[in-house]
Amino acid sequence: MSETLNALLTGFGVALAPMNLLWGFVGVTLGTAIGVLPGVGPALTVAMLLPLTVKLDPTGALIMFAGIYYGAMYGGSTTTILLNTPGESASIATALEGNKMAKNGRAGPALATSAIGSFVAGTIATILLTLLAPLVVEVALKFGPTEYFALMVFAFVTVAAVLGASMVRGLTMLFVGVLLGLVGIDDQTGQMRFAFGVPELMDGIDVVVLAVGLFAVGEALYVAAYQSRQPEELEKMSGSLWMSRDDWNRSWPAWLRATAIGFPFGTIPAGGAEIPTFLSYALEKKLTKHPEEFGNGAIEGVAGPEAANNASSAGVLVPLLTLGIPTSATAAILLAAFQNYGIQPGPLLFQTQATLVWGLIASMYIGNILLLILNLPLIGLWVKVLMIPRPLLYAGILIFATLGAYSLHQSVVDLATLYVFGLLGFMMRRWGFPVAPAVIGLILGPLAESQFRRALAISQGDPSVFFKHPISASLLTLTALLILVPWIVKVVKERRRRGAV
Amino acid sequence: MLPAARGTRVELILSLGVLSLGIFASIIAFRLPEAGGYARIGPNFMPKVVSAGLIALGVWLLAEVFTGGWRERVSDDPAERGEHAFHLGAFVWVSSGLFAQMALIGNGGFVIAAMALFACVARGFGSKRWVRDLSISLVLAVAVFLFFVHFLNVNLPAGWLKPLLGTAGI
Repeated sequence: MSETLNALLTGFGVALAPMNLLWGFVGVTLGTAIGVLPGVGPALTVAMLLPLTVKLDPTGALIMFAGIYYGAMYGGSTTTILLNTPGESASIATALEGNKMAKNGRAGPALATSAIGSFVAGTIATILLTLLAPLVVEVALKFGPTEYFALMVFAFVTVAAVLGASMVRGLTMLFVGVLLGLVGIDDQTGQMRFAFGVPELMDGIDVVVLAVGLFAVGEALYVAAYQSRQPEELEKMSGSLWMSRDDWNRSWPAWLRATAIGFPFGTIPAGGAEIPTFLSYALEKKLTKHPEEFGNGAIEGVAGPEAANNASSAGVLVPLLTLGIPTSATAAILLAAFQNYGIQPGPLLFQTQATLVWGLIASMYIGNILLLILNLPLIGLWVKVLMIPRPLLYAGILIFATLGAYSLHQSVVDLATLYVFGLLGFMMRRWGFPVAPAVIGLILGPLAESQFRRALAISQGDPSVFFKHPISASLLTLTALLILVPWIVKVVKERRRRGAV
Repeated sequence: MLPAARGTRVELILSLGVLSLGIFASIIAFRLPEAGGYARIGPNFMPKVVSAGLIALGVWLLAEVFTGGWRERVSDDPAERGEHAFHLGAFVWVSSGLFAQMALIGNGGFVIAAMALFACVARGFGSKRWVRDLSISLVLAVAVFLFFVHFLNVNLPAGWLKPLLGTAGI
């Protein structure tokens, strides 16, 4: 315990160093400014800004990314409330009540409860992260390649198969992502795979190109084709920002309950914030003393999901930092940011790069405070960003999207790849294929492959090793159950229905 | 009347696409060398697993097509999704912008390519104010160029504007 406290204090020393404080500030500001753009979620924000940091030192860069990660979420809620276009699935629950409140002239309190709620949830969740991370590290230090491989398979399947509308389409995108991850030189043998002699493909496919292609280019093509001829409905920023005593009394229990739901969901591989935000919404709807307001702008319905969203984003950092396993698309891109600096997150990171990790964690406390300060008074400025006409907005987004991809190798091939992924993203959006499994597959696939081969090298090629180690055996069994049980339930139900007829 | 026992043609094509991707990947995977070392597992193992998975998923998708269509599908009616019908012009303009940028960035340089991209995309989203769009993109692109080249030390091609932008870029 005191060890953790000492480490955290050292971390604050790092995070409060003037340059790092500046990078944190730049991060939250850029994150908010870009996250507020409609259609730009945290994953895309982080991906677009990744090339910006090539010349920074790792600590500064990662502190900036933590700021961008949090800032993009704050910015996203503003858009959701005023424009009713959730930038990501985790904001859908906020949109339900938040946009209704804005329509009733209560945009101010809605934005305030989401900003303060995010601060409260973010801070509590960061405290939980501080306490939990060292414990997970203890356990993770005992993990070998066998356990890691099983854990990665488990993460793959929960992200791809359990979430989203269709298991088969989720798994398809996961396999496409893993296939893309195989492109390039094999680390262990130097063998070229799926590169077709194209020099730009030998390094592999960069996660920036995939994420920006799917999220930004795909999104721009989709919105142009299906939404650009529709009138935009921007709610006016009306009503004072101040919440009444009643608003406060209804908000704070929702914030705390949502934190309790959001954080644990973030720490397990359950695809980030989508499930906890809806759970929190459902819970608030059940507990409220004003059920008649739900559907017409109930403040609990904004306070809860927004807080759950932030708490789970902090939770996502637990498996990312301690195990090196990303459980959301944004986390996968953050992992790529680490890898750019040759840093592999995992339990060893807490020993070899203690100042970096704890500086990063400390910077999250500071980032949350900065965001609260930045968001309440400056909300009017962010609203102005929303008033940029759509043609200019998407044209601008594409300039930054292509810039990020081009600056990787200064090569037109990356721009062409970007367009191919854009077309893929368009088709995925149109026919209901999820994006997150593809991004996670690309990043996690090569890691899973090398753990698999390492495990088999240790066991001299005996594959039963995965079922002899208790942890990996139980994880793999659980994974199989996650795929098989829903399917069996469905088959049994269909049989019964037929039997009844 | 027959019940809707089949998926749409697009679903069929996409399912076949996943299947062919799997077959294509497996052909490449089987040509990769074995060379296993201690693990007795070479660089061809994972490609084989992934292509087998894609083939299985392609078959699964096809099975859904022939047994009532994809499950939990996205509606084909734009009005039901709260959108308008596919606007070909918009799609083509945005795509042309991206192609124009690819064509121009090598010789014309970053700023010219970005202006072409910006103007075409804005046109795709319904803007008809060429002059406004081009001037905004000029300011934006020059600002980005100078920031990247001078502040972040990331090289971007100056191209035809090299005499104006100085020798900083490539």
